[in-house]
Amino acid sequence: MRFILLFFLIVSTQTFSQEKMPNLTVKDLQNKPVHINNDFNETDKIYVFSFWATWCAPCISELEAISEHYSEWSEELNMEVIAVSTDDSRTQRRVRPLLNGKNWPYQVLMDTNQELKRALSIVNIPYMVVVKNQKIELIFNGYTQGAEDELYQSLKAL
Amino acid sequence: MLKYFTKATLIVLALVQFNFLFGQETEKEDEKKDYGRFYGGIESNMQYYIKDEGLESAIVPDDPFRSNNYLYANYNYKRWTAGLQVESYEPNALLNYNPQFEGTNLGIFYVNYKDEKWNVTLGHFYEQFGNGMIFRAWEDRALGINSAVRGARVKFSPNYNMDFTAFYGRQRSGFSVNSGDLFGFDANFFLAEYLNLYEKNQDLSIGFSYLGRYESLEKYPQLENPTYNDLTNAYSLRADYLIGSFYANAEVNYKSKDGILNIQNTLTDDFARTGNAVTLNFGYSISGLGLDVSLRRVENMGFFTPREPSTFTDFQGDQSTSFDYLDSFVNFVPALTKQHHSLLANIYVFQAQQNTSFEDPILMRAGETGGQIDFFYEFKEKSFFGGKYGTNVYLNFSTWYNLPGVYTFNPPDYDVDFFGRGNKYFSDYSIEIKKKLDESWHLGFNYINQYYDQRLLGGGDLVRADIISSEATYNFNSKQSIRLELEKMWAVGDREDWVGGTIEFNLNENLSVYVWDIWNYGSKKESEQIHYVNVGGAYRIGAYRVAVNYGRQRGGLVCVGGVCRFVPESSGFTLNFNTSF
Repeated sequence: MRFILLFFLIVSTQTFSQEKMPNLTVKDLQNKPVHINNDFNETDKIYVFSFWATWCAPCISELEAISEHYSEWSEELNMEVIAVSTDDSRTQRRVRPLLNGKNWPYQVLMDTNQELKRALSIVNIPYMVVVKNQKIELIFNGYTQGAEDELYQSLKAL
Repeated sequence: MLKYFTKATLIVLALVQFNFLFGQETEKEDEKKDYGRFYGGIESNMQYYIKDEGLESAIVPDDPFRSNNYLYANYNYKRWTAGLQVESYEPNALLNYNPQFEGTNLGIFYVNYKDEKWNVTLGHFYEQFGNGMIFRAWEDRALGINSAVRGARVKFSPNYNMDFTAFYGRQRSGFSVNSGDLFGFDANFFLAEYLNLYEKNQDLSIGFSYLGRYESLEKYPQLENPTYNDLTNAYSLRADYLIGSFYANAEVNYKSKDGILNIQNTLTDDFARTGNAVTLNFGYSISGLGLDVSLRRVENMGFFTPREPSTFTDFQGDQSTSFDYLDSFVNFVPALTKQHHSLLANIYVFQAQQNTSFEDPILMRAGETGGQIDFFYEFKEKSFFGGKYGTNVYLNFSTWYNLPGVYTFNPPDYDVDFFGRGNKYFSDYSIEIKKKLDESWHLGFNYINQYYDQRLLGGGDLVRADIISSEATYNFNSKQSIRLELEKMWAVGDREDWVGGTIEFNLNENLSVYVWDIWNYGSKKESEQIHYVNVGGAYRIGAYRVAVNYGRQRGGLVCVGGVCRFVPESSGFTLNFNTSF
């Protein structure tokens, strides 16, 4: 009986897709609050929120792979990648040196008590949410080598 | 009563959604009213434990099928949001989770109002003050932690340069709340604008927190004349400073005099002390180079509500306490060590020693002191070590000691120095090199040296281990790739040498399969010379993810974010499913 209910719930929740990003503020590296909806609202610009952590190897591979293509992608498309770190107080100190050691061009947000991660019901990282005109267009979870090409094709199609 | 309420909620939710399923199809685009947003997520972790002749110490419960399921649902309309989380542990929770997680029930519920300046929540909420050393309410399903506070919280931010938080409530434990009232206050000030620091390429912010835990001592009949009060006060002061490429931050925490648990986990009248923790972190960071140093000294910072843990007996007759399930912790003190992703490097993992513990005349501790250094460097393309695409090197050193001083066992007392180090608990020195050879090949290499004194950390040997792991990923094309990782541990003490390997094959962007094995060939006990083989895969599309695994789980600590949970040795199938909506 319980499983029927669970299955039923899963099926019926599929009519809903989270349309907008949650109405939250997240701090950036300088401790300044950044509003997830209001501060990312340039018309027709593609915002890619990539959830990562300093201890997550595939997340780092994904952001590394994107950074290699970032300058050419940004020329062709009006886009921006925002790397949301889900590191908590154990590893958040490692974020800044890692970023500079790797030379990434992204804006980084610090979701240290996982508020944004929880609001989006993210369980595993890497997890990517693509937003355009304040609407969630695409979601990708996990990363394998070469997936950044598929990502780019999907972004171009938007 | 709550169980029926939960079942009713589930049915109502299902009906509401079913309605929307058909309702939305008939509405025209331009006539859409703002009905608000319904969103959330589902997660299900199921396990089927089996008997395994090759794994004698595996735990096989009588009811071998267990699952932990979570349904998180929220509704947002303009400035209002309401939500709940239904948790279902049917027919029983996975092995070694909090015994209070049983059945299906409402775990979290809340109502929230938010505008530009105010944010008010009634019900359950998560929160952290500073680094979390005096207070953190959080959730981690893999660890079985949910310490959300049930009460009321008000957050006020008059402008973007300051914010204030105040709350009252009780922390969640299982499906109810722990005794002990919590009062909290937190303030943060961003001073850069007021002091005109941006022009000088500087930044400064300060913060202050208070947390009071009130629990009447009359609850403990053995106390006649305690030397401490019902209310324990904890304070935190922190500052963050940045100048050009340098940064520094410091945090000081203080906890007023409170009773310390003895070896039977009970309070006494006289064994009570204050607690404190000091963290200093600084670093230097420019393009291609990053250095971070963290120093921390923690003294008697175990902070619980209730003060004494509950005890449980499982189906095998083994006793455990709330602490084993990370329940009743008011604060969060993670181990400041590197999270390795190599399988063998995760055998000896260090847990932060924030508690005062007097186990016997040799094993006495009042906290920990030590530090960690992280160094990131990128050898640029075309340089000697950089090669065509550049090479990344990452060094990490971390080392932790007991506090130095004089410890007396009977009556229990300690007098510790601020500076200096006591017995060494743990150290971990590692170098990690990552290199992209060309479009097809990515290589990685790790050398790790570990020192882990089990004699001071729960019992066992002094372990010294050296681990080498090397990894190669080959891309067949832009969709398919294969990853191979080989590792070897040379160790003295405990189970001695291990060897391990992983093969992971990505068929396309959605599907991956893997097989891994770690083999304790070097153990002096033949019964321990086991292969812990695992095979499985994951399928991901959009927000959905399904993963299956079949194999053997090594008994030991599983750590997530520096907080660890003991996982028993077992063998079986696992199925994980999650999605968001």
